[in-house]
Amino acid sequence: MSRRARPAARPDRSEGFFRRLFRSRSLRLQLLAWVVLPLAGLAAVNLWTSRDSAFATADLVTDQMLLGSARAIAEQVSMIDGVLDATVPPAAIELFDTGDRDSVYYRVETADGRLLTGYPDLPLPDRAGGSDAAYRGQALRLRSYSHPIVGAGAASPIVVTVGVTTAGHDAMARRLWFTAFAQQFALVLIAGLFVLIGLHRGLAPLLKLRDAVRSRGRTQLEPISIPGVQSEIRPLIDALNAYMERVRAQMAVQRRFVANAAHQLRTPLALLSTQAAYARREAGADARGEALLALQESTQRLARLAEQLLTLSRAEPGSRRPRADRVDLAEAARDVLANLAPVAVGRGVDLGLEADAPAIVSGDGTMLTEMIVNLVDNALLYGRTGGSVTVAVSATRSEAVLVVSDDGPGIAPDEREHVFERFYRAAGTAEGGSGLGLAIVREVAENAGGSVRLADGPAGGGLVVEIRLPLARD
Amino acid sequence: MRLLLVEDNRELADWLARTLRQAQYTIDVVHDGEDAEHALAFGEHALVILDLSLPRLGGLEVLKGLRARGDRVPVIVLTANASLEGRVRGLDAGADDYLAKPFEIEELEARIRAQLRRANNRAEPVVACGDLVLDTNTRLFRLAGEPLVLTPREHAVLEQIILKAGHTVSKAMLSAAIYDFETDADPSAIEIYVHRLRKKLEGGNVRIVTLRGLGYLLKAEE
Repeated sequence: MSRRARPAARPDRSEGFFRRLFRSRSLRLQLLAWVVLPLAGLAAVNLWTSRDSAFATADLVTDQMLLGSARAIAEQVSMIDGVLDATVPPAAIELFDTGDRDSVYYRVETADGRLLTGYPDLPLPDRAGGSDAAYRGQALRLRSYSHPIVGAGAASPIVVTVGVTTAGHDAMARRLWFTAFAQQFALVLIAGLFVLIGLHRGLAPLLKLRDAVRSRGRTQLEPISIPGVQSEIRPLIDALNAYMERVRAQMAVQRRFVANAAHQLRTPLALLSTQAAYARREAGADARGEALLALQESTQRLARLAEQLLTLSRAEPGSRRPRADRVDLAEAARDVLANLAPVAVGRGVDLGLEADAPAIVSGDGTMLTEMIVNLVDNALLYGRTGGSVTVAVSATRSEAVLVVSDDGPGIAPDEREHVFERFYRAAGTAEGGSGLGLAIVREVAENAGGSVRLADGPAGGGLVVEIRLPLARD
Repeated sequence: MRLLLVEDNRELADWLARTLRQAQYTIDVVHDGEDAEHALAFGEHALVILDLSLPRLGGLEVLKGLRARGDRVPVIVLTANASLEGRVRGLDAGADDYLAKPFEIEELEARIRAQLRRANNRAEPVVACGDLVLDTNTRLFRLAGEPLVLTPREHAVLEQIILKAGHTVSKAMLSAAIYDFETDADPSAIEIYVHRLRKKLEGGNVRIVTLRGLGYLLKAEE
């Protein structure tokens, strides 16, 4: 087993801030990031375009003012006594007095290039409408206006050019832009706030669910019910409830088993107590010895019952780590038979093994051995005294087959399904059985991916138990 | 005193019967509900010890059937189901007492004695007739203060007679009380037991009187 390089839960330091934010473990942070960051991006793009439009608006307004100013100047130009007279009205200049300390320059020329008044070196706009220019180290916005003068001949029309420095223009653009900026900022802020409120409200059922799960007692497994839960969270609660239902069912099975086990221990304990009482009161040495011997046998059987209960609880799925030992059933059967041979001799049973080739299966070795012990035990216990019990192990192409047959009374077909139930004992069966043997056999066989089948013996009598287990893959 | 033990675990039944026989009871043992019904039909038992989980016919059904027939024989229920519900069901079905497995034999015996006492309408554990005293707890007879040594059969006969003191006890009743199902009842043997008992009672002031055609009566001499 190689260890994983790094637990996934810890964010990599080399990951960027945003990556970490989007992968954040907090649902709130994640959703906030997913909503606010794209919104902020859109707002930035929007701000960039609104900056342009703010400047365009400022240009337009300034150009209109320049045009107004140029018109006012041009309208004051008149022919007085055949001479063109240009008097600049103060209003044309004061128009620009917006508190931004802008300087205004003008230049009035005749069509034939004669300067009537103003700054002769003021540049002319390079296109109709307004244009930007530099003058005396300052940025200017310029605009020209041509105005016909009646009776001026070749001097008409005159061209009035007005330029203004850009402080007022820029201030106006900034004001326009700042308003847009403030609006966008407020928009993102409000959106973020609503996301948080929405999340808080939306997550409330989830938090309630968390509290409901956390506050439960260790054994409280009733379904959780949270009113007003969203359709997205409903499946989570349903899954949780289904899971608890499964745990509850499993616990009920366990409880029944424990209750049943305790119940099954009561009668043997009563027997022990009675035998001990009998021995205690009996004065005759023989009768006393008999009682003590019986007491000893009862104790051994009780120990065997306890052992079987333990085996059964171990055979339950999930109670032991699954194992995949390579087990040779022929070998295991040989060991079991060697151990049980004295019991067979004691009952006068002819116990035999038929196993020529290994049959290797994959599973829990201890449990598989326990399974064979229970099978042979049963055959010895319920078979005929002085009869025969045969264990045969063989292998087909894909399966190992273990067959235990006896020549006892067998099991009636309508009881065959019941005998696998725990503590079930077929009617009229001999004393000493616990009713657990075949339950263990089935549990172990099924855990190893196999099956159990009961059948009549070849001659019609007796019982044949056939276990089929998949062969281990090489 | 003849008791019926109904218990499906043969070994437990066997050893319980042995232990109770040690205590001078006559015991019949059956292992399933149907056999229990047959045995109870005779009405010969002074008390029934009944396991509830029986094959063929459950103990509760046996008990209900018994009470439905109007039989008031004391029944001590013996079961591995010690839950409250189980006890309540047993008592409701007509059990007089309830004992959960595993139990101490002493407790079972004490409960048997208590039930028998109640069945004979006695509060005192000691029954006396003249010099003859039976302590139903120890089940020992004393005659004029001295322990009376009796064989089990003699004990059973004398017990029947003293418990019915003042009434005649028929030979059939004695026979039913002392022979279990396995023993061939021999009415003439009763006469032998009574004869022996009379001899053993000679030192005291009680007599067993024979009422011909009716049975026996225990009488204290004035």
